[in-house]
Amino acid sequence: MAKATLGGMEIEIDEDGFIQEPEKWNESVAEDLAKTEDASPMGGDHWKLVNYLRDYYIKFEIAPPIRMLCKKTGFDLKHIYQLFPSGPAKGACKVAGLPKPTGCV
Amino acid sequence: MKKEKIRVGDISKNRDEQLLTITGEDMMSLPSPLDKGGFQQLIRPLTEEQRNDYECSLDGVSAIAIPKPKSKEEEDRLVERFLGGLRKLLSQNDNWTFWQQLLLSLESCVRCQTCGEACSIYISSGKQEIYRPTYRAEVLRRIIRKYIKKGGKFFAKVAGDDIDLNWETIARLAELAYRCTICRRCAQWCPLGSDNGLITHELRKLFSQEMGIAPREIHELGTVQQLNVGSSTGITPRALENIISFMEEDIEEKTGKKIMIPFDREGADILLLHNAGEFISWPENIEAFAILFDAANISWTLSSELVGYDAVNYGVWYDDVQLARIAIRHAEVARELKVKRISVGECGHAHKALVVVADRVLSGDLNIPRESVLPLLEDLVCNEKIKLDPKRNDFPVTLHDPCNMVRLMGIVEPQRRIVRKLCPQFREMEPHGVDNYCCGGGSGFAIMSSMNFQDWRESISGRMKLKQILEAFQDVIDPSIHKYVCAPCSNCKGQIRDLLNSHEAWDKYGILYGGLVELIVNAMVDLEKPFIEWEWR
Repeated sequence: MAKATLGGMEIEIDEDGFIQEPEKWNESVAEDLAKTEDASPMGGDHWKLVNYLRDYYIKFEIAPPIRMLCKKTGFDLKHIYQLFPSGPAKGACKVAGLPKPTGCV
Repeated sequence: MKKEKIRVGDISKNRDEQLLTITGEDMMSLPSPLDKGGFQQLIRPLTEEQRNDYECSLDGVSAIAIPKPKSKEEEDRLVERFLGGLRKLLSQNDNWTFWQQLLLSLESCVRCQTCGEACSIYISSGKQEIYRPTYRAEVLRRIIRKYIKKGGKFFAKVAGDDIDLNWETIARLAELAYRCTICRRCAQWCPLGSDNGLITHELRKLFSQEMGIAPREIHELGTVQQLNVGSSTGITPRALENIISFMEEDIEEKTGKKIMIPFDREGADILLLHNAGEFISWPENIEAFAILFDAANISWTLSSELVGYDAVNYGVWYDDVQLARIAIRHAEVARELKVKRISVGECGHAHKALVVVADRVLSGDLNIPRESVLPLLEDLVCNEKIKLDPKRNDFPVTLHDPCNMVRLMGIVEPQRRIVRKLCPQFREMEPHGVDNYCCGGGSGFAIMSSMNFQDWRESISGRMKLKQILEAFQDVIDPSIHKYVCAPCSNCKGQIRDLLNSHEAWDKYGILYGGLVELIVNAMVDLEKPFIEWEWR
């Protein structure tokens, strides 16, 4: 696996740039990941989404259903795509330091 | 400039060069409104780093991230393992599951190339030789002839056969095993019944079972994760509980009704298996089943046991051992719950795995009746077990045929009788039914998005489906007219979503997609509000 410098640290990433060492995630790592996702600089809405994803992930070890994400943040999917052009799974989850979503999703 | 025709033996040559470079101009043209000049979806080249790390000399695309061997010795070891695996594939004892079909398919081809004209990938790519269904089969045949059969090397020399079993041949063949969706349209058209889809499947099996080469999304994060954690999505039983209570709230908000989604009800008539991807991406499908079955008073249950809440069995695409482990687990869950039968929800490959192929491994009290949910849905709708009003579905609808349900199993009419009865503006895609084209996401492609593979599956393997969808809606392409592509399969839905999304087809042309049961619930007269929400998902 390749390594990338994010937030001033060497962090292992997979072939699509998802971090493989979730414990190293912090806000400056997120800011650096956002640069790779065309989502920089991160504003209030970016953080609201990222923080919701992280909190859910810490509780349930998985990203929440997309419908739940929209309802709980009050953002529709269109707005999420505006914030993270690669979408909730490939974009927002990556910046939030979650693993790449898997299965038929 | 005209490209030189790629020959079978070329797969062994010029290892540092890409065998094929495919450009937008090569690809099959699309109908209006995507026929205007300027639009050519490109397959983004891999980065230099990716090219250094992974094998990509087939067509510059990496579907399965094969790491480049570090030394000549490592390459030789891999070649030996391939040959060992190939011997097993051709041995009746080692390959009791598919040996006979494999041999018949290898032996009966007369190279008439009828299959090429049937293959959506070959046609969509502008008839690239390496994507022809017989190309990969012919490579395999020549390897067998030269390296497995007695005196093969001598006869190959005499015949001028220039295939060479080096690492590059194997790496390219492994990638090539993931340029076919195993839709088996080629097998259906073959006058001799030779099944090139099966040959793809057997190659994948060899690579996975003997060499540890398989897409991460399907193996490590797919079947392995499903068996360990409970689901390929990573949903644990605890997360499931949270998601279910969210869905029950959602149902109440939408319908005003308190409906419990039943779990682990012993002795229920039906154990319904959903693809767990639905919980994450399309919960409205699972909610619609709950609303419908509640209204129709069906005795049914879901399971909260590990693997029991995820119908998927990715093993069917690449690995017989993983396939058997998951199929057995599904049957065990049903046995413990003492249900009368298992019904598979809107998931095509799970139909193939559990209803058809699992016959080879489930015996005794594990051989529980297993069926598709579609005929039950037909019964509820067509025998008027619930009150439905087609006027509620008065928008253009077309129907996608999932290959595993329709071509493989012959479930053609139940879903059609439903949409004909409930959707006044239903129109077929052409061709359809058992002659359908794959969505382009079959055999795992829809969930494989690593590196530049998503570009490939959107621009090549999904191209025919995109064309069919646009053609079906030509007369109503105005974005103010809401249109619905009904795809009763999670994998197909994911692929169709990606196809539509990359062309902004919802914003620009008003085309949305979804499952079948949502259309039924949308027509229920008992519900105050329409069930289908017209927003992108």
